[in-house]
Amino acid sequence: MSNPQIVVSNLSKTYRVPQRPPGFWAAVRSMARRVTQDVPAVCDVSFTIEAGEMVGFLGPNGAGKTTALKMLAGLLHPTSGTATVDGFVPWEREAAYLKRISMVLGNKSQLMWDISPLDTFRVLAEIYRVPPAEFRTTVDELAALLDMGELLTKPTRNLSLGERMKCELVAALLHRPAVMFLDEPTLGLDVSMQRRLRAFIAEYNRRTGATVILTSHYMADVAELCPRVLLIHHGQLLYDGALRGLGERLAPFKLIRLTLDAGNGRSPEPDALLPPGAEIVARENGGLTLRVPRAGTPDLTARLLSALPVIDLSVEDPPIDAVIDQIYQEGAV
Amino acid sequence: MTMLRPLKLTALFIGASAQHELAYRANFWVSLLNSALNFGTGLLGVIVLFEQVESVRGWEFAQTLAVLGVYMTVSALRGLFISPSLDSLAGMDGEIWRGEFDFTLLRPVDTQFVASVRHWRLFSLVDLLLGFVVLGVAVTQLALPMTLAHVIGFVLTLLISGMLLYAILLAFASLTFWSPGFLFGWVFDGLFQMARYPVGLYPGVLRLVLTWIVPVGVITTVPARALSGDLPPALLAGSFALSVAAVLGASVLFRTGLRRYASASS
Amino acid sequence: MTNHRGGWALIQATWLSWMQYRSFFFLLAFSWMIGPLIYLLVWSTAAGGGTVGGFSRGEFVAYYLILILVNQLTISQTTWTMGELIHNGQLNRLLLYPMSPVYNTLASEFAGKAVYMLFVVPVSGGLALLLRPELHLTLANGLAFLPALALAWALSFTWGYWISLLAFWTTRADALLTVEYSLLFLLAGQVAPVALLPDALQVVAKLLPYRYMISFPVEVITGQLDGAGLLTGFALQIGWLVVALAIYRFLWRRGVRRYTAIGG
Repeated sequence: MSNPQIVVSNLSKTYRVPQRPPGFWAAVRSMARRVTQDVPAVCDVSFTIEAGEMVGFLGPNGAGKTTALKMLAGLLHPTSGTATVDGFVPWEREAAYLKRISMVLGNKSQLMWDISPLDTFRVLAEIYRVPPAEFRTTVDELAALLDMGELLTKPTRNLSLGERMKCELVAALLHRPAVMFLDEPTLGLDVSMQRRLRAFIAEYNRRTGATVILTSHYMADVAELCPRVLLIHHGQLLYDGALRGLGERLAPFKLIRLTLDAGNGRSPEPDALLPPGAEIVARENGGLTLRVPRAGTPDLTARLLSALPVIDLSVEDPPIDAVIDQIYQEGAV
Repeated sequence: MTMLRPLKLTALFIGASAQHELAYRANFWVSLLNSALNFGTGLLGVIVLFEQVESVRGWEFAQTLAVLGVYMTVSALRGLFISPSLDSLAGMDGEIWRGEFDFTLLRPVDTQFVASVRHWRLFSLVDLLLGFVVLGVAVTQLALPMTLAHVIGFVLTLLISGMLLYAILLAFASLTFWSPGFLFGWVFDGLFQMARYPVGLYPGVLRLVLTWIVPVGVITTVPARALSGDLPPALLAGSFALSVAAVLGASVLFRTGLRRYASASS
Repeated sequence: MTNHRGGWALIQATWLSWMQYRSFFFLLAFSWMIGPLIYLLVWSTAAGGGTVGGFSRGEFVAYYLILILVNQLTISQTTWTMGELIHNGQLNRLLLYPMSPVYNTLASEFAGKAVYMLFVVPVSGGLALLLRPELHLTLANGLAFLPALALAWALSFTWGYWISLLAFWTTRADALLTVEYSLLFLLAGQVAPVALLPDALQVVAKLLPYRYMISFPVEVITGQLDGAGLLTGFALQIGWLVVALAIYRFLWRRGVRRYTAIGG
């Protein structure tokens, strides 16, 4: 517990973006004097991650999650702050470090297009110096886990997107990295493929203890895979902890959905029953949705059941998407 | 009304292309550099040759320069609209290459017309000017009296060359309908380069190929001869007939290919 | 970082990939052949039964056929195999590997040239049968040819590589490339053997690096150079290679620094 694998300390990254104002004279002037604007991407972020953890970076587009990930992978160097992964400084890009990490980029492939994935794997095995015996075992294991069958020997260009993503994952794991960076790995995949890939990642983490850091737009990815999330917005770390805790802290509400028997005579106005802080958020044929402070939920539930002709009742957490969306809108926790 | 429509459309195409060209100012300077370098190296090629010899198979400096001038002029015409238009159809990253040809097929305009005049590269007018410069130099070197008949004959042969060039390029572009991945235009490019020099310079078989099979030799050599006054009327008539036949033949080939494409694509 | 095993595996895989597009690459090789071929025909015709500038018809044929082969072996592709990678962000992937990105470019280089030569060698052979070259080959020239060719390749590759690194700073290196192509055309033995260039141009040609990328090995093997010519030629070839390497290292360090600061 005292020796975390990844230590990030006051990490910041500010891009200097050239301004190209429109118009002819502005263009001429900008040839003589570069006008730049500082765009902060990551601001003073600190966290630690233990080996074997599965962590999700959440945030809207442009929040800085991919920038943070790229810094940890060594592809960017920061403006200030430090980070070490397994004792290495990522942006020094030492060979020993690069062999311990792996990155999957959702929209960019590392498979060679015109040959089979297996051929690409062989090249990667040579690049990462994976011994032949280990290479074969790893490929067999992963192919079995992902149920890949014949895929490996077809040219990459003949594979569907889902099949290609499976191969991308195998490619990323051939050298058994200690840390995996997954940037939007399920981008563009259908629902069932997303689920399969998630199951695979979870299983892989369980079997090998590899640390997994994931960024994704899809809430389901993060919700299912990552016990811990880092919420990044405008480059700042707004929250670091369990996803559930996020909901609880930010939206200490519960949703009560009621289905009422309309045929029954008695139906007093539910409004009267509501304690302060509770409100009706939706009203449809024979149904109501109430938003209630957490503390008051059991009590109110009991009262609703006795006072109203309830056919069905469920108590839910507010959808995490809505919670996070609210944070994005308000820009704060 | 219907006679004017192609003209109106062409004017629109020119306008659109002009706007596009003007939007990229950096391109202008690079294009200028390119044209200047092409001009310079082309000239130097001929100069270096004739520093060493007086004549090659009867062709002297001035006449060879005339051929180069015609080559540059015809190339400029090609670059003005024929190449940009046909390449956007059949060239690398063209519509057929990327599988986007259907959009063009859907338009209520004759496809051959559109495919031939759709894109213009107005900067080629600079190349045209440079071609005329070389021709001017050649003419002064030839020290021939330029009569009106001369000039008319020359202009006619240029037009014939233009038609012939269009026909050959259209034919090559049409072949793409049968074999979509292959860049036939590049084969033409290679052969056309040979037309920088008088066809008479090349050995037997090649000369025949460049005169009768892919008549690039006719394209540059005949106007050059017209410029130096060596244009028998039979040659003029024959070239005219050849170019008309070529344009008709290439158009038939294009339309056949089009039908084939339309029926073959899924 | 060095990774020869990775590099060799990459060469093989790249060759496999490119062979699937061989008709495209053969067409490319054909295009590159046309220039020297035209001048082969023009000069050999000019020589006719006699000589021009000391070259007979057959000697022009030999010179240009060898030039075609050497040109194909040394022609620079790094604008596409490195410059493009920088522009479209694919360099990021290469930076993740424990292998210097140069290996990737070298893989494309060797694999590509192997594919091109599959076309150029038979075609040149066929042309040789048709056109009857005349080559007076001596052992000394033949032996000197090999290092000259190897150095020509190294110079052409390194020179093209540093130019492609300009992609770190600009999307518009095309003006520079245009000038390069023209200089190669004029001064590297294509428009005429260097010995036949007008005096002023000849001096420039012998000083600039372009001759040493293509023409020099051809001049060596066709016996155009005497002892002194050979020595100064090699000296300049090696000198320019050192310069190219220095420029490459200078630009690479700064370029990667900038790339990882800005984000590809």
